[in-house]
Amino acid sequence: MSIFNTLIEQLINGLTLGAIYALVALGYTMVYGILLMINFAHSEIFMMGAFVGCAVLTLCGALPAPLAMGLAVVGAMIVCGLAALGVEKLAYAPLRKASRLAPLISAIGVSIVLQNGFFLWRDDFLGFPNVIPERHFYFGPLHFSLIQLIILFSSLILMLGLWLFVNHTRFGQAIRACSQDREAAGLMGIPVNAMISLTFFIGASLGAAGGILYSLYYGSIKYNMGFVPGIKAFTAAVLGGIGNIPGAMVGGLILGMAESLGAAFLPQASWKDVFAFGILILVLVIRPSGLLGERTAEKV
Amino acid sequence: MGQTLREIFKLFSRKNLDSGETVAPVILWPGPRCNPGRKSGSLPVRQAGRSNGRPGRGVGPLVLGLAGMVFLSTGFFSCKPAEKKIKIALAMPLTGDIASLGQGLKRAVTLAIEEANKNHLTPQPLELVVFDDRSDPREAVSVANRIASDRHVVAVIGHFNSGCSIPASRVYAQAGLAMLTPASSNPELTLQQLSPQWVYPKSIFRANTTDNVQGAFGADFVSSTLKLNRVAIIHDKSAYGQGVAEEFKKQFELNKGVVTAFEGLQVQDRDFRSLLTRVKATQPQALYFGGMFSEGGILVRQLRDIGFKGPFVTCEANYDPAFLKVAGEAAEGAYVTFLGSPPELLPTAQEFIVRYRERYPTDELKSYDAYGYETGNIIIDAIKTVGTDRAKIIEHLRGIKFTGVLGTTSFDEKGDTLNKAITLFQVKKGAFVHL
Repeated sequence: MSIFNTLIEQLINGLTLGAIYALVALGYTMVYGILLMINFAHSEIFMMGAFVGCAVLTLCGALPAPLAMGLAVVGAMIVCGLAALGVEKLAYAPLRKASRLAPLISAIGVSIVLQNGFFLWRDDFLGFPNVIPERHFYFGPLHFSLIQLIILFSSLILMLGLWLFVNHTRFGQAIRACSQDREAAGLMGIPVNAMISLTFFIGASLGAAGGILYSLYYGSIKYNMGFVPGIKAFTAAVLGGIGNIPGAMVGGLILGMAESLGAAFLPQASWKDVFAFGILILVLVIRPSGLLGERTAEKV
Repeated sequence: MGQTLREIFKLFSRKNLDSGETVAPVILWPGPRCNPGRKSGSLPVRQAGRSNGRPGRGVGPLVLGLAGMVFLSTGFFSCKPAEKKIKIALAMPLTGDIASLGQGLKRAVTLAIEEANKNHLTPQPLELVVFDDRSDPREAVSVANRIASDRHVVAVIGHFNSGCSIPASRVYAQAGLAMLTPASSNPELTLQQLSPQWVYPKSIFRANTTDNVQGAFGADFVSSTLKLNRVAIIHDKSAYGQGVAEEFKKQFELNKGVVTAFEGLQVQDRDFRSLLTRVKATQPQALYFGGMFSEGGILVRQLRDIGFKGPFVTCEANYDPAFLKVAGEAAEGAYVTFLGSPPELLPTAQEFIVRYRERYPTDELKSYDAYGYETGNIIIDAIKTVGTDRAKIIEHLRGIKFTGVLGTTSFDEKGDTLNKAITLFQVKKGAFVHL
């Protein structure tokens, strides 16, 4: 019974973690889908989301918690979306015609600049306002805390919203067209640059929401907090098949589960990353395009 | 800004090993470096971009920019009349996870040196040269090499992390340079000097108590005061965290206690729920954590979140406001041991606290700052007494009996302070309360 209970608890831990990874992985995968570049600055957008969220929650301390929370999430999503637009215009758009390596390096540069900018502002841990009351729910052997439910629920809503947007709106259609063939889409009258900007905006705002959920879960924020979850989310995107939106969601959940099961059953709990990345390598060896990635056949 | 430029300049320069001075690279242009009448715009820049026969598109501005930077730095720092200064090196984590502690120590040592200079305690003015080891052992060794090769450095204060201090200490010992740490507590740091293989001078000193004292204290507290005999231990795999956790384990098992789990966590990781869930399944009555506040605060928060109600006991690196800030309500009731006595409780340190607040009105006093001030003053006292010879300073420190903010500091044959107090705190209503 005890082992079973631990297993269930670990799965719930993994599910929560995976939902955050999935949310952040969407930003990597969408940008890759449309520009074929890996936006390494995304992890700093994630961090920025947490900072903006913290600022809004501190300012709105007097408001009721759900309202303050909503304001923080929406505010952070907008601010970070706009910041990502700015980054795209300044650092990536001028390199659109350069080799594929150039924007990648530019992204690493932006990431370092943003991180150090926040470092200059606050070099220490900041406590994230604790707006969610400590509450636990028991459903038989299942044990959720309120914060875990909130994280699962809100990431589910955001991902559902994204899915609807991409598959059932004209903008979504245009984004999909651009990611299939940018030049042809341009010839058909789709404003390609606007669609790229839109992709950056959406990806960044999901990342910012992920940043807020993450810091609610862990209670503290710091200028370099983006690095580890950024790498994990990137891994999740690759695991699911980079460029593929459902793939990023699946990859995030699998990575979260793998980590917490690894922590539960390996001889040393700190080997969980080895386990998670081992799964990644295994998948890439067996199926190089990732779990849900398409195999692009080369015509001879 | 000047500091940064100087660092950049050092990167581009060769070391002149005879004098220990850095000299300017003469790769970018010839001509007088110190000509105040010449404006930077009219410098005779050699056309570096085109010298290889190709049109150097885009290279020219870069070279010009670099040239400008080097010009600025040399212009600032080599035109001054050669003023002889005695250098004391400070090597601390100034960036990274525990930068706030390193910055606090830097402020405290700076204060000590400023006071010494104001009172003309030494024949020449003292200069503090500050290095950042980023809590990274590799960086610490490279910093140590840079410090050891500077002939004007007479002693080193540092490092913070035991994991940095141990490898760096060998570099200092090889150079015959006294190293005095205000915070590293792994016993191995000074113990290594007693091994027969140690051929260097015994130049390593430590102003704080060690982990074996602290770990054993924690274990005795859990078994005799809390009367618990099942404990799970988590550490951060660092020389410090694991060291103190092992000392705890040793003593706890001597006290006939059962250690249900002994697990390491990954520094910088933020998700310990899985680890804690696993540890909780071993049914401990209490949890001991060896590591820094950057992980400790999150750990205790998640510990309460997964529904563990037993006592949380931890070591002095968690005696920091950030621990309370990060952990929030979850910190309530946590026990924290502290090396030595905190300055707030020491009558000898009250004057120091006042001066610190005056000098740095906007910064808070960090938990190790009194140690930083003390180590600074110990080194100043050595220079005042025996001058700037590295070997004489080591000899003086061996026999020192220094009375300062922490009481009387003198060193045993290993180089550890004989001042071995441990204080116990409990978090009550969001503050550390002395028990």
